[in-house]
Amino acid sequence: MAVQREIELRGIPTVLITVSPEVSAQMRPPRALYPKGFKIGNSLGRPHMRELQRTVLRDALMLLTENTRPGSVVTREYPEYGEQYEPPRVKS
Amino acid sequence: MTISRKCVPFTPFDRTLEKSTIAIVTAGGVHLKDQEPFNIADELGDLGYRTIPQDVESDQLMVTHHHYDHSDADADINVVFPIDVLRELEADGFIGGIAKKHIGYMGYTMQLKAMYEGTAHEIANEIDKGSRADAVVLTGG
Repeated sequence: MAVQREIELRGIPTVLITVSPEVSAQMRPPRALYPKGFKIGNSLGRPHMRELQRTVLRDALMLLTENTRPGSVVTREYPEYGEQYEPPRVKS
Repeated sequence: MTISRKCVPFTPFDRTLEKSTIAIVTAGGVHLKDQEPFNIADELGDLGYRTIPQDVESDQLMVTHHHYDHSDADADINVVFPIDVLRELEADGFIGGIAKKHIGYMGYTMQLKAMYEGTAHEIANEIDKGSRADAVVLTGG
């Protein structure tokens, strides 16, 4: 994610919410959250699930204050999301 | 100076969230309804970006993107551009404020080199110079 790296280089901390963690990990994001099983197009959750969206956004912003390893993607589970989807795989 | 892809840029967050202004940058093709849509007829992808103002209403926004199913975003833009959610976090005092500018772009492009050298710089400049953001949350990965 070239855009995220460019913003970080300007001295502005960033955090990515990704639903393609393997793809994102290749770009070595400064900080990233993968809400497990969320499908593409549902970065924060499903439409109108406002409590879940708040939880995901809070968790993403909290990564700014946590001791994360730059370049890694943190996975969190949100059972309230419901049906899980497989993220895109990257060929090794 | 070329930065190795193995190197991870990292700016420590030295503030508190409750005193911080947050900007959203989305690759999900979000823009204002009265802005020119992203060009989905171009096979190579549209390298442009749109600036979204601080006081935007979520019903003024729409998605133009041909590489993901955005029917959920059409129903509730917050699933890719969580502006209402951010406002709730501000009202709660969890964050200090909402940035003056946010960005939407179409994060699928075959013209990767042009993206790295062009649009990414421009978006970073907008955030750096015009948004007063203390931190940025990105979606669309």
